[in-house]
Amino acid sequence: MNTLYYLILVPMVYIAFAIFIIGTTVRLINIFRTPKHPATLQVYPEKKPGWLWALHDTFLFPTVRRHKPLLWIFLMVFHICILLLILGHLELFGEIEILQFIPHEIFLGQGLVGLIASIALLYFLFRRFISPVRELSVPEDYYLLILLFLVVLFGSQMDWARRWYFYETVTVEQYREYLGSLLVLDPYLPDELTESGHSFMLVLHIFFANLFLIFFPFSQSMHSFLSLPVNKLRRG
Amino acid sequence: MMDEKTRDDLLKLFESKLNEAMRLYLETCTRCGVCTEACHVHASMGQVKYIAAYRAEIVRRLYKKYFKGRGKIWPSVGEARELSAMALDELYEAAYSCTGCRRCMVYCPFGIDTQMLMSIAKLLLVGAEMEPEILTLLADTSIEKGKSIDLFKESFMQGLKRLEDEVVSKWKLEAGETAIPVDVEGADLLYVALAGAHSIIPAAAIFNAAKENWTLSFFEAVNFGAFVGDPTKTKLILDRIVSEAKRLKVKEVCICECGTAYRVMKQLTGKQPFKVSSITEVHARYIREGRIKLDKTMVDGAVTYHDPCQIARNAGVIDEPRYILQHLTDDYRELTDEPRYNWCCGGGGGLVAMGEDTLDFRMKSASVKVDQVNATGATILATACENCHAQLSNLNDHYKMGVDVRFLSSMIADALIQS
Amino acid sequence: MSDDIKVDKVFDLKGLPCPMPVVKVSKGIKEVEIGQVIEAQSTDPGSLTDFPAWARTSGNEILKTEQDDDVIKFYIKRNA
Repeated sequence: MNTLYYLILVPMVYIAFAIFIIGTTVRLINIFRTPKHPATLQVYPEKKPGWLWALHDTFLFPTVRRHKPLLWIFLMVFHICILLLILGHLELFGEIEILQFIPHEIFLGQGLVGLIASIALLYFLFRRFISPVRELSVPEDYYLLILLFLVVLFGSQMDWARRWYFYETVTVEQYREYLGSLLVLDPYLPDELTESGHSFMLVLHIFFANLFLIFFPFSQSMHSFLSLPVNKLRRG
Repeated sequence: MMDEKTRDDLLKLFESKLNEAMRLYLETCTRCGVCTEACHVHASMGQVKYIAAYRAEIVRRLYKKYFKGRGKIWPSVGEARELSAMALDELYEAAYSCTGCRRCMVYCPFGIDTQMLMSIAKLLLVGAEMEPEILTLLADTSIEKGKSIDLFKESFMQGLKRLEDEVVSKWKLEAGETAIPVDVEGADLLYVALAGAHSIIPAAAIFNAAKENWTLSFFEAVNFGAFVGDPTKTKLILDRIVSEAKRLKVKEVCICECGTAYRVMKQLTGKQPFKVSSITEVHARYIREGRIKLDKTMVDGAVTYHDPCQIARNAGVIDEPRYILQHLTDDYRELTDEPRYNWCCGGGGGLVAMGEDTLDFRMKSASVKVDQVNATGATILATACENCHAQLSNLNDHYKMGVDVRFLSSMIADALIQS
Repeated sequence: MSDDIKVDKVFDLKGLPCPMPVVKVSKGIKEVEIGQVIEAQSTDPGSLTDFPAWARTSGNEILKTEQDDDVIKFYIKRNA
């Protein structure tokens, strides 16, 4: 068991991050290395400055708000949650002073953000089972949603389990030790992390997150990097 | 069955289309379905295959198979598809039921351009010799006319003579003025028309009334190369207008009421010593500068205006026709609150040029357009595109809409106040 | 009708805008045998250049072009 835990928590994390970072970079370079389209691909009437409106389109999804308001609410909520969760994970590397405006130990949302994100993911998933989105969807779309759902589910459960069942041997310190050691390429796995009653949640959380990261560069998740340049084409 | 050589050749064509924009469009779709309501064909006929994302996915599946590493390791995850005879049939169905109006771009959270993706399908069909024969024939005819211009010059001038008489009989001319000047070096404006009377006579009347120093192009504006999706032919047809404009040293090239011609000319010519305008822009300018005056009593009844997709949403000529219509009528009615949401007439992308072959589909797929026009209660349906005009006239007959489909330019010509 | 040419089929394309006359003729000519002649009547002045160019690309032959007040008549022999 311990060997399995170790494989998932150490080598697989390295592999996943390597594929994620190298894969994404190489794919982006390959896309932006190809020649530009010779003509404008704008839609009119235009609004100036184009880059500002492209940012607006990228981060606020105005077309979805207008045509699918319910989907828009879930999309906004989901993407905000993702941002918060990324911030939360950065806190696992070190204290971020500014986020302590509400004093907290590990995660600002204490698992609530993850719960909201998983509800949004379920909505996206069930949407895909209903026509016409069902006919448009391909397996990848379902896999990604299921994968992300499992990631945030075990992630947020971890936080709750720790507090509800008093697995207090695990504190932010162990996470910082573990992640910090990964960062300096001198992996160290504190016993508390693998021997606590909810350790399996941590392992599953990281396992599914690894899978997601490995798949990311080759999937439609790339829209997180491509949305802005595509929107820029439309705004001119 | 498709042999390997054919497939390789087709995949080379596919690869030739993969510039940055195309890759972005191919990689970004999340199949969220927000575009569902965007397509007039889907809105009119309801089948899922007419949703923009579905059409795009037909092309994308081939991309996933041959241009992504994933296509070799795990093709099923994206439903990657082999390029086969059946795939070509699907490409045909997708590409030739899409009018390239780009209304779906107004819905897409990313702004994916379905027309661009369909241009891959069209090019593959050309490569497989499965494109609509008639479009290639029209493109070739057009190229042939340009190639052997001297052979056809005489009959062209002959045809013009007939038109000049008409212009002269209807509109007064100053003494010594040529009704339809051709091949005038140093003219200010080169007018590129269609090879038809309705595209030349009213335009000539207005140019003459505005005292424009103009000359008529030997070539026709319409670019059948663009309809059939053949970049080489598109360029050939485009380039000869460019070289004529350079030879005559004109300052402005004015494209007649033809959406594709205008967009191709405006956006694909690159930097040139002349500017490219649509005839609608030129007419609006004449009114603004007081060079022509219009008589509103010549227009009887409520007027609505159909924005040709390639001129308005896709090339930005939106305010000018409305400005012109203010000078033609006091009862102008908009089709939509926002012009970018205007429904396509249903005839773009070469469908109208394919004539009766596509008539049934064009009528069925554009019922939302009919409802939109009917809702305005207008009796005159103006537009500024040959293609739209033909399609709207067909709709008018088929659905007994009882409107008068008019070219904006001919409305202006009829309302000219002759001093 | 021209005296010296035997016409096998007549196409009335009067009033049709460009490029419809060419579209219809290129389809219609398949209705006669190779070697037979069709007569196409157009009112569109564009067909004066369109038809000869189309004939060159499609490999058919225009035997004669006649113009009266309004109508342009083409006598076209199907060669392909």
